[in-house]
This record gives sequence, C-alpha cells and structure tokens, in this order.
Amino acid sequence: MTHYNNIEKRDIEYFESIVGKQYVSDNPAIRASYLAKSVMGLESQIAEVIIRPRYTEEVRKILVWCSTRKIPVSPISGGLSGGFGCALIKPGGVQLDLSRMNRIIEIDEDSRYAVIEPGVTAGELWAYMEKYHPAFCPPIADGAPPAATVMGDAIDRGFSLYTSSVGPQGDNFMGGEVCLPTGDIIKLGSWALHGVKPFYKWGLGPELFSMFMGSQGAMGVFTKGVVKIYPHPEHKTIKAWAMSNPYDMQNLTLELGKLEFGIAHNTVMVQGGNWPLIMTRWPKDKVPAEYDFYKKIGVPEWWMNWEIWAQTAEEQAFVEKTIDKYANDFKKNPKCKDPEAIKEWKLHPKQIASRLKKPNKIAIPYSYYEAGFLFITWYTPWNECADFCVEYNKILKKYDFPEVMWVASIERCRQAICMPIVCFDSSKPEDFQRVQDMNRESSEMCLKHGWINYRPDPYVHAPMMYSQAGMYLKYLRKVKEMFDPNYIMHPGRLMLP
Amino acid sequence: MERLKELKTDIYRCIHCKACLFAYSGEPSRKGVGEHKGTFGKEGVLYEGMLRSCPAQIEYGWEAYSNAGKVWIARAVLEGEIELDENVAEVIYPCITCGLCEEQCENDVRTVDIIEALRAAVLEAGVPARDKHDLVDGITKKEDNPYGGKKVDRMNWVEEAGIDPKILNKKDAKIAYFVGCTAAYRQKNIAGATVKLLQKVGLDITVLTEEVCCGSPFFRVGKTETAKRLMNDNLALFSNYDMVLFSCAGCYRTLTIDYPKWTGEKNTFKTMHAMELIANLVSEGKIEFKEHKDLVGKTVTYHDPCHTGRHFAEHFKHELIAESDNLFMDKRKLNKKVEDWFEVPRTIIRALPGITFNEMYRIKQDSFCCGAGGGVRAQYPEFSLNTASRRLDEAEAVKADIMLTECPFCWRNLSDANDRDNHGIPVYGILELIDTYDLIKGAKATPKKK
Repeated sequence: MTHYNNIEKRDIEYFESIVGKQYVSDNPAIRASYLAKSVMGLESQIAEVIIRPRYTEEVRKILVWCSTRKIPVSPISGGLSGGFGCALIKPGGVQLDLSRMNRIIEIDEDSRYAVIEPGVTAGELWAYMEKYHPAFCPPIADGAPPAATVMGDAIDRGFSLYTSSVGPQGDNFMGGEVCLPTGDIIKLGSWALHGVKPFYKWGLGPELFSMFMGSQGAMGVFTKGVVKIYPHPEHKTIKAWAMSNPYDMQNLTLELGKLEFGIAHNTVMVQGGNWPLIMTRWPKDKVPAEYDFYKKIGVPEWWMNWEIWAQTAEEQAFVEKTIDKYANDFKKNPKCKDPEAIKEWKLHPKQIASRLKKPNKIAIPYSYYEAGFLFITWYTPWNECADFCVEYNKILKKYDFPEVMWVASIERCRQAICMPIVCFDSSKPEDFQRVQDMNRESSEMCLKHGWINYRPDPYVHAPMMYSQAGMYLKYLRKVKEMFDPNYIMHPGRLMLP
Repeated sequence: MERLKELKTDIYRCIHCKACLFAYSGEPSRKGVGEHKGTFGKEGVLYEGMLRSCPAQIEYGWEAYSNAGKVWIARAVLEGEIELDENVAEVIYPCITCGLCEEQCENDVRTVDIIEALRAAVLEAGVPARDKHDLVDGITKKEDNPYGGKKVDRMNWVEEAGIDPKILNKKDAKIAYFVGCTAAYRQKNIAGATVKLLQKVGLDITVLTEEVCCGSPFFRVGKTETAKRLMNDNLALFSNYDMVLFSCAGCYRTLTIDYPKWTGEKNTFKTMHAMELIANLVSEGKIEFKEHKDLVGKTVTYHDPCHTGRHFAEHFKHELIAESDNLFMDKRKLNKKVEDWFEVPRTIIRALPGITFNEMYRIKQDSFCCGAGGGVRAQYPEFSLNTASRRLDEAEAVKADIMLTECPFCWRNLSDANDRDNHGIPVYGILELIDTYDLIKGAKATPKKK
C-alpha cells in the first residue's frame, strides 16, 4: 500500500508561488464544490487542496513537487465527461482543476485536426467552429452535456458524434502533450519530433499515446490534445425504425453496419434502446408507468436511430432509401423474430431537429425520475448486444430498477456500447447499496460473457476485471511506475495503487 | 436547516453537469452577433452558441461560486461532510440569485430556493451575516426600508412629481400601486412616471403611506424573520384591494411568488406589473404612441430583469409540475405561456414609433443578469457593477443607444456601471421613457386584468 503525505502549509505556499494565491484554495466549501456522485461513479471524495493552473509549466512544477512530497494528484479537465471527469476517489491530495487551460490553439482544415487545451468545452468549441470554421465540426461527445470537455471525452475513449462511423473518441485522438510527475513533458504522435505538425497519430512508432487513453489521469496530465475534425455537411436527418425486441434491433442494424465503403459511413450515429428511455426522463410520480401510454403516443418497444450526414440531398436520399429497403427486406430474414413489429418510426420534424442538435442535454434528465442515476457502460461485440440487453434487464428488474437500456454502434457495428441507465434515489443510502449489489451481480454476468467494462469504477468493475488479467495488470503497473514512480497520479483509479 | 432539508430531493437531483453555467446550454448552434470587444470586457466575448453566463462564476472562477458547486456544497452539508461555517458563507453570498442556472437545468432543480435556504441555514448556524446585510437589516427594522429613508418620507415623491396627493390612501380605490423602496427613496422618477402613466390611461389607483419594504432583500439573503415580518405587514395592509400594481420587478416577484410560498396560502389580491397593464392596452389598441424627435433614429435594447423574467417563467413551470399528473404531456403547454410572458415588454417597445429595437444576444430566459440582486449590490459592489458592465458590453454589441428595462434596481445598477465605465448607453425604464418623452398619443379606456 502506497503511503501518501497530507498537505502542509509549505505545500500550499509552494503552490501559491507557482500559480498565484488566488488560484489555490483549501477552503472546505470550495473543496466540497468539486464533488460529483453521479453519472459514471459514486465514489467522489473531497480533496485537501484545489489548484487551478493556467500553463503547462505550472502543471509540471506542481507534479514534480507532489511527486517528491508523495502527495496524490487527481486532475479534472473542467467540464463533465460523464460524472465530472476524473473525480477524486481517495481522500486527500491535490485536485488539479484544469478549467483555466481553455485555449483553442489551432484548427487545421486541410489536415483536419484541432489543437486544444484540456478546459475547452464541447459547447464552446462547437460555437467557435460554427463561427470561424463552419465547414467543419469537432468530435464532441454526443449525449454528454455541453460543458463536457473535448479532452476529457477523448482520454476516456468516449462516444463522439461520429463514433458509429469512425470509432470511439480514442480513435479521433491524434496526439497530445503530457506532463509527468518525473518532470518530463512528452509529446505524442508526430508531435514527438520538434516542429512537426500533429498530423500522424502513430508518430515515431511504437506510439505511447494509448498508454494515456482510458487512464483517466492515472499516468500523467494532458496539457494539450489534438483531435480530428470532420466535415460538417449541410444534409442531415434521422431515420428511425421500430421493433419489438433487441434481437431484431441488433440484427437489422448489423446488416446496415456491414455496408462499409457505402452508407455505413454516412450513418455517423447509430443508437437505439427501449421505451423506458423515454419514461425515466420525467419524475416517477408524474408520468405513466405502463407501456400502453407510450405505445399510444407512438413510442416503440425498441427502436434504432440512424443519424445520416451527407454531402448532397441525393446522397442523403440514397442512404434513407437503403435503410428502408434493408429494414423491409429484414422482415423476410430468417433471423427476424417479429416481422409485424418492424415499422418505420416516422419522427416529427421537431424530434429530428432535437436529435440532430449537438452537443445536447439528452443524457441529463435521467436524474429527474427519482434523484440520481448511474450510467454503467459495457462494450460487447455488436452481435452480442441483444443478449446483453436481455441479461442485464433481468438483473435490473430483480433489483427493482426500471429496465432502461441504450445501445449504440461503434465503428459500423464492429462493437456495441451498451449502457443501462440505473435510475435511483441518491438521497437514500440504501439505494446506493442496492446499486452496488446490482452492479456486482451484473458485472459477474458480463465478465462471464467476455464483455468489457468501459471506464471501470475502482471498487466494483476494476478489481473484478483486472483480477482476470494478471499479466496485463503487471505490465500496466510497470508502465505506471515509469511515468509516475511515486504513484501520485489519481490513486486507486484502474486498480493501480 | 429545515428548509434546506425540504429541498433535499432537488439537491440530490443535481448530477453536476454544469449546463447551469451557460446561457443557451441547449442551443449550441444558436446564431449570434459574433465577437465583440466591449468597453469593459476588452478581451472580447463570442456571442454565439452557448455562452458562459453565471455572473459569479465569471467573476470568481471557482466551482464553488457556480450554482452546481453550491448545490454540491449543500449536499455535503446535508451529509455532514462539511460544517455550516464562514467558509460556506464566503462562497454562497456572492451570488445574484439570477436564476439562469435554474432555467438551464434539465432536472428542474430549484436552484434559487436552494441558495436562499443555504444562506438561511448558515445564519441559523450562527455564522454572522455579511456586514452590509446586517446594516440594511438594522435600518429596515427601524424605518421599514433598506435605504435608511424616514418612514414618513416614503411618499414624498408624490409631491415632488407634481402628483395630486389625493392619491394617497384613497378610500374608494380598488387598485393599489406598490411603490417599493427603490422607487420611493431612490429612483423616484420611476414612481412618478408610473403613476402619471396609470392615471393617463384612466386608472383609479391609490398609494398607501403605510406600505413597507416587500422583504425581497431579506428573503434573498436568508434573513427570513425580517422578511416575514415585512410580508405580514404588507399582507394586512393590502388585503382589501382587488389588485396591486408594481413598477419594481423585485417587489412584484416577492409579493406574487414568495408571499404565497411562505404563507402557504394564495394572496387575497391579484398582482400585476404596470408594464403588463400597458402592454395589454397596446395589444387591444387602446393606447397609441407618437414619435419624439429626440428618439427618432435611436436604437434601443431591452434588459429582462430576472425578477420579472425567468423567475416568473420558473414559477409557471413549478406550478405546472405541482398540478400535473402527466408531465410528459402537460409540459408542452408551458412554452406558449412563457413565450407570451416575455413578449409583454416587447409588445410596448415594438409599438414605439421611430425607434429601432435590437435585441441583445442573451434575452428572455437566457438573459444575463444586471448584477444588482441577491444582496450583491450592497455587499459586493465591484462584482455587482462588473456584471452590469458586462451586460452593457452586450448592449454595445448590438449598437444600442439606449438600454430599456423595467426594474428600478436594474436601472440603478446598469446606470451606475454606465457612469463608471463610460459605455455611453443611458438606461431608462420603459414606462419612464414613455413618460419622459410624453410618448402617449391617446389612451381610450380603463384597462382590466386579463
């Protein structure tokens, strides 16, 4: 067990000398204001001191000091990428609030990348590019609130608005600048060579960047990042089809996902789910609990949306027509379980406009159902996502949670991101226990199937998952020791000491 | 602490998404007026898409000063993780309680109520009140107003404005005008203009010499005992009137929203802002305006006071939530009501001939605060004026010559910031502008409450 030191007066005086007195606080109220026990994790703790650096060199000096003094450091990028970024999960230490590092440094329309600092939010980068680079848009997280940071989502390998077409956010990452507790600053990708543009993510090879993807601040602190940008075409719409079960949702979507070098690349976001996704966005005592009501207003039991982006109206029409053709043909496919239920879900123009809005607040109101929610996210091969839905919903039901399931395609149905939304009352301590009991049982089930937890929480998922990957964990620790010899970075995260 | 506990479900609904920091958090592609380097904010602001708009977070930077930070502080207090002490007080008082955060919240968390309850809890726990709040409390206990004017002088503006003193305590009037302390002691021009205008349209109104402060400053800063004493005095005084009219956004909000909330009962009288009344007459074609040579060709903009703007929009929403059995269906009705509400001042402005009306980027529910409310102007004058100056920068961005509003407190703060930072944008109340430039061409009938 690593021993850490508590913050002393001399530490605070040093931090103040680096960033300025006004950007260091040990006020308990200020420290408590960084708590976030929701969305992606319930473990948030209060730091001993908050520091808000502005420049890379300030970050570097803080890390060196903390490493020497064995003071833990947990960085947050400033927004919320599913649960307030990298909330502190063990008591004590420094919370490094990077929100002042919020500069948009460069947009290169030809090489199609953006260089940003960690505090740049999805909404602000979106507005900036709409104004100054309207033909392009950034890979912002869909479903995460507009205050989520682009960097936070990238490091999390999150779900961007192009994920169904091009892969998770980690795949959009082109390089970065990372401060290490050793005092070194590494540049990743082709940036590793002085003066070279960040145009090639695999850099000098072998490339180190993947060591930092999914690390959630456990290896070092990103002070700059490079993400791909994509064309922002004028022609967009949403096509939705209804079905009665997750297997038809899975298999029809897979047929379309396999149309690579064809329409699969036009369907930037392919996501669906079941009717409780609608119900649980409202207060539990203020909406009908039975499906009959939702059926009457046209909500299917299960559905899949294809968000289509196209350069021309003709191209868009072709994609829409192809989706319709495949959906109609699927009714005759032997894999189809309920052909009668497969129908186009004709969305109102307002529904289409709402779903096309980026970034959006679509994921926020699940707290309204009771008073809190948790996204527990798993990756499966696409052709197993229906099994996931069925098995996971059984467990949600057993623990008396509404069976809320959201599923999306990653990289043209190679993988699925499956996200049960656990709606509960976070004001009741017994509900926390109920969530964790359900989480343990469902994690055992998922790991038996060989499904992988995305963003493992440190108390349930990480121990269960890493205990099955001993050699991997051994080398992950060695890598960690190389970057962070005193284990000060985000302790406890990823089952690292 | 009891009131904070009552809001526990709201507090625990916050997921710390931080949408509450931004105006138009749900409209990322909203078209704006581009970047403007203001007289105050020389670094410039991009008025496009969602825009960072929590005044306290902009001024102080720390998470704790934002709404989300305060809600999580409240949660830490309820869970016993931190004490209610000076550390908490330090960060919860520099908040204008403008309610922008509440408007953005997809979980309908009642953020303004939480902040006010947290302030009250801090005082209950024995933390000393902010010095200026204590000072104002002491003055009000003596003189029934926060400005220190003598009780007997409260209605001096009547004579000063050349209004017939018979208006005072009229026995037969059914409509009373609640003047409010700011218009009675400071912006007397607003009080005079309002009464003259109401008389011009043929309304039989009275003004009551025994009126006391509405209590708004004390509800806002957690001094609930003072607030309730003032509330009870006013409720007794106005109980026999059919309607009470207002020119002050804060008083209007307090009597309409706070009083029923604290008494648990509906008021015995209807309430209406004078601006609503005039707007109704304009819509009905019963008032016509004329040009004034000094205004022809001028560009005006309108600042929505938080207290008559989104605080009412939020009030409508929470009334609907309380009454609804199926919010999924009922919430659709809300949008029209809110949209109509924000059209009230705009109906009047658009009817003024010879004037160009340019809206600022942040308007209506997403309006940026003037910086005066929530006890901030008294206690944190620099933050207060900086906020007002940021708002005036926004008026510059749409090339406004004049800023209109309809709240004496907004008027005061915006005017002071205009003077301090030389924006060159004079501030008028809408009714004040109409009276000052004698813009009424004809008024045909006595209005009725819609």
